[in-house]
Amino acid sequence: MGVEQLVDILGENILTTTLGKVIGWGRANSVWPAQFGLACCAIEGLMHTAGPGFDIGRFGSEAMRASPRQSDLMIVAGRVSQKMAPVLRQLYDQMPEPKWVISMGACASTGGVFNNYAILQGVDKIVPVDVYIPGCPPRPEDVINALMILQEKIKAQGIKPRI
Amino acid sequence: MADTKLDQTQQGITITRTKRAGLEGDLMTVNFGPQHPSTHGVLRLVVDLDGETIRRVKPVIGYLHTGIEKQMEALRWQQGVVVTDRHDYLSPPINNLAYALAVEQLMGVEAPPRAQGLRVLMSELTRISSHLIWLGTSGIELGAMGIFMYCLREREKIMDLNEEISGFRMHTSYIRPGGVMADATPRFLELLDEFIREMPGHIDQYEDLLTRNPIFQERTQGVGILSAEDAIRLGATGPMIRGSGVAWDLRRDRPYCGYDTYDWEVAVESAGDCYARYLVRIKELRESVKILRQALDRLPTGPVNVDDRKMLPPPREELETSMEAIIHHFKLFTEGYSPPPGDVYVAVESGRGENGCYIVSDGTHKPRRVKFRSASFVNLQALEHMSLGHILADFIAIIGTADTVLGDCDR
Amino acid sequence: MTTSVLPDETVLASGVLAGAEWITIRREDLREAMQTLQAQGFASYLFMTCVDHLATPVVERPPERYELVYQLRNMSAHRELRVRVFVPEGDPTAPSLHDIYTPANWDERETWDLFGIAFEGHPDLTRILLPDDWEGHPLRRDFPVGGEPVDFSEDHETWQTAPPEA
Repeated sequence: MGVEQLVDILGENILTTTLGKVIGWGRANSVWPAQFGLACCAIEGLMHTAGPGFDIGRFGSEAMRASPRQSDLMIVAGRVSQKMAPVLRQLYDQMPEPKWVISMGACASTGGVFNNYAILQGVDKIVPVDVYIPGCPPRPEDVINALMILQEKIKAQGIKPRI
Repeated sequence: MADTKLDQTQQGITITRTKRAGLEGDLMTVNFGPQHPSTHGVLRLVVDLDGETIRRVKPVIGYLHTGIEKQMEALRWQQGVVVTDRHDYLSPPINNLAYALAVEQLMGVEAPPRAQGLRVLMSELTRISSHLIWLGTSGIELGAMGIFMYCLREREKIMDLNEEISGFRMHTSYIRPGGVMADATPRFLELLDEFIREMPGHIDQYEDLLTRNPIFQERTQGVGILSAEDAIRLGATGPMIRGSGVAWDLRRDRPYCGYDTYDWEVAVESAGDCYARYLVRIKELRESVKILRQALDRLPTGPVNVDDRKMLPPPREELETSMEAIIHHFKLFTEGYSPPPGDVYVAVESGRGENGCYIVSDGTHKPRRVKFRSASFVNLQALEHMSLGHILADFIAIIGTADTVLGDCDR
Repeated sequence: MTTSVLPDETVLASGVLAGAEWITIRREDLREAMQTLQAQGFASYLFMTCVDHLATPVVERPPERYELVYQLRNMSAHRELRVRVFVPEGDPTAPSLHDIYTPANWDERETWDLFGIAFEGHPDLTRILLPDDWEGHPLRRDFPVGGEPVDFSEDHETWQTAPPEA
């Protein structure tokens, strides 16, 4: 076989890209959520979204890990009470980098229907949030939409470390 | 105290076992933290173990305390319906029903027959959806992963029904004091008919997967036994007592919304273990389908809201012609109605047991006190009694069988 | 009909409202009355709660600020009974019923947590729903609803359930 034929064959089978794009592509398509369902949003956003109707496994999030040490994404699904807030912060700290947070639902984003002494008015008071999903509870399609927005964000981040 | 050594010779090989001194009878405290896949919500359980055997269980709740009762004192009577959806979030229409019945009793009105029929339809659909989540999650905790997907498949249909009748998949706020939110659309009745025809086949599928499965039986039979006397003494309600032989169901014994006019049976088993409660809930699924069929077939025609202008706003067309209608509309939307002073307690049967609403009115447009009698709050107190002496693996089955919803428990 | 379960001198008032029977008894007679009722067949304890009557705008003032309400049920006779006990503001204590009715254990902890009523004889009277270091008793009427004030909102009354006199 001649060198020219070798170059032709190899030319069709080699892609050139940047390291950032590859890492971004890999990270975005295998985001593993932590099971952090608190209240009603957990039923819609975690169970139904992972269920047969709106399968989130198609987007790479099949493995919902119970341990925060093995997960990338914390979907705060539900209302965060005063007693739960330090626990949430501790779980967030236990997650290894890179990690992202989706605040699902009105209660996690702003306190929702419950503007009172017992509920933290927005989980962004204690953890940095990447995507907010409005709704009470949001449809599973909203959660998948948020995941796709997050995936775009992850791909754009590439190999730059988060500050 | 010195370590004791024991030599064991087997097949020519000698092994020396050392039992360390001072560890006899030591208890190890394990924390099932608030974030745990098997606790059905944010429940923290502090368990003292002697090896694998449970010696003490202390539930710590409050991780989902929402201040719902205080919130309702700050909202008007008709606004409070929205908040009632969210405490037992697996059965929102049933919570609405307890509140709506309580307010109607205080106001002295009764919802029209079509509204009562629609209320029964929504309650039974909700009971089915609540039991499906219980079945799916209990199965998945014991290792039966397939049943979770099957149950969610049916639940999607119930969510579609909810959406058709009220616009919301989950927190419908459909049942309101005075009646229901809106009439059922023809498409709802069609979808419901289809659902009722298909559901018994699906329940047979669930039973095929679990009821005679030897692994499931090993893990649930003889586990978490609650005797009838203990169940009543601990205040448990719902499948927790019906699985122990006490035939008490609020739909039959304190009937509301015409439940005594339908032909159905109370699901009772006598063994008192997790398997018995599983059988009770499966039977309740079948009985709910029976009630749905009867309620759908004899759904009466007529209005869906009580015709009391002091409680419910007039239809929009009337506002163009009637001054009185405008005044009623204005009064209701700025101030709201005021039940006469007094208190009332109404209990309904939810998937977990007795879910009740105790309201106190002082004659103003906001409640003085709204208290939710939560079935999960009381059933959780029985957890320690049921799990003493069991091993940790059985504890997961017992938590599952109690079917607690922490939103209901912590309010 | 309601006074037949308890001796007449124990019952301060009784009545039927919206189909439910209720009786009012003194705080000192609570334990004995509950034991009598339990012996008479009211084996099911449904719930206990507290109502705060601070600045209540009705003509008939309740005797004290706090009212403890117990709901009992006799399953075999299909009968329910509501027992009311009034607790004064200056001395917010009541006897504990945890050894008579087991579900009272957590209900009393919740009432202590949210209203500040201390139950004498309770084995573990600690906060149950709020964090252990929380200060105040939120469901009292003079504790504000809390949360965040919403800018430009005309519904200011939702932030504060305390009436102006409190």
